[in-house]
Amino acid sequence: MKATQLYQAASHSWLMFGRDEGKPEKIIDTNQYLVKGKGQAVLLDPGGTELFSPMLAAILQHIELQELTTLFASHQDPDIISSLGLWDKALPGATLHAPWLWEGFIRHFGMSNIKYQGIKDEGGDIRLNDISLKLIPAHYLHSSGNFHVYDPQAKILMSGDVGAALEKTNAPIFVEDFGAHVKHMEYFHRRWMPSNRAKANWIARVKELNIEIMAPQHGRLFKGEAVTEFLEWFAKLDVGIAT
Amino acid sequence: MSDKNIVDSFIRVARIIANLDAILAEAKNLSLTAKNARVVALRAGDSASGFKPITNFIDEFSEQTIKTTTHISTLSNQLFKIALEAVRSTQFDIHVGDATILMSTPQLVTLQHKAKLDRQQQTKKLEIALLELESFFEEINKQMRSAEYIAVTSRVEASNAGEFSDSLQSVSDFIASAARTIKQSVTVNLNEIHTLRGTLH
Ligand SMILES: [Fe+2]
Ligand SMILES: [Fe+2]
Repeated sequence: MKATQLYQAASHSWLMFGRDEGKPEKIIDTNQYLVKGKGQAVLLDPGGTELFSPMLAAILQHIELQELTTLFASHQDPDIISSLGLWDKALPGATLHAPWLWEGFIRHFGMSNIKYQGIKDEGGDIRLNDISLKLIPAHYLHSSGNFHVYDPQAKILMSGDVGAALEKTNAPIFVEDFGAHVKHMEYFHRRWMPSNRAKANWIARVKELNIEIMAPQHGRLFKGEAVTEFLEWFAKLDVGIAT
Repeated sequence: MSDKNIVDSFIRVARIIANLDAILAEAKNLSLTAKNARVVALRAGDSASGFKPITNFIDEFSEQTIKTTTHISTLSNQLFKIALEAVRSTQFDIHVGDATILMSTPQLVTLQHKAKLDRQQQTKKLEIALLELESFFEEINKQMRSAEYIAVTSRVEASNAGEFSDSLQSVSDFIASAARTIKQSVTVNLNEIHTLRGTLH
């Protein structure tokens, strides 16, 4: 499991974990994000069961296990949170922030110790001591109960499946040539994203934010100009094609 | 307990529960038969006076069997939960083991130690539940042995009951066959439990 630092300040830092070489071939590659504050950390979209061991080993190189007090699941998909039953044993005192809509579903992954903190449809925040992460509604992108995480200080938007690309495990971390990257994203967005209306709504909301890095759950991350390029491209894209 | 054994144990627990339903149904039949037999014995009057204590006896042990079976039913449902916990802690232990292979830090070693301990505890719990279950089944077997004894005795009494002889005879036959069926189901379940306990080591 490769770890990449995205942001570093006195208050907190962002780490991205992914490009796991030990991952079974037919499993979609995922990016996991760790936001590490003072004595407290949150893991964003912890990943599937298959990823638990490499994630645990990777995370412990950066924090103590008891510092990992919080988990966040953008939505209910297995690639996001099917590892929950194992985290439940590793972090019995932790809290999981996830859409209220999916509580009865996510609990099927096995949760007898961790506390479920349902996120209201309008969003909310995750507080780690003196830092606050905003939970931005992203419903129907692609899941009907879906949130992204925005850090106003680091100017990072963790955008879940929005901006996702289906690529090889050894793909670079950042998008360098947006035009060349489109082919890895187009089908994914047209087929997985169901609603043009929800898409337009999300773009309007996200344009209000000051974003330096947009960090999706699959594939490369967007930085600087590439963020704007993505939003422009996404605005024009017709989604929900399987109807 | 390996992954394969875990799945096997779930299947075994499911089988035990399915068999319980058969035992319970048969025990209920026995209780009904006892009630009918008492009515017949009453009508037969003096000629079946030797039969009356027998019907009381049947009534008593069929009630007992129903009680034991219901108790087992509750226990078996708990067994599913206990087995699930054992599965989860086993999987957790396996996954933490994989993490220590990737990187061995003191923290991971401590976690692995905890995981092992938890796995042992959960397995122990499952083992205790299985032992309890086993003793209940042995209890039922004992009850069925006395049922078979009653069937023999009641056959003798039935032959003295004049015109009621035939219907009382069929009661005796029914008790004998119900006891046999129940004993068979219990034997199957005891075998399942033995195998299951074997996989835990
Ligand atoms: Fe998804
Ligand atoms: Fe995903």
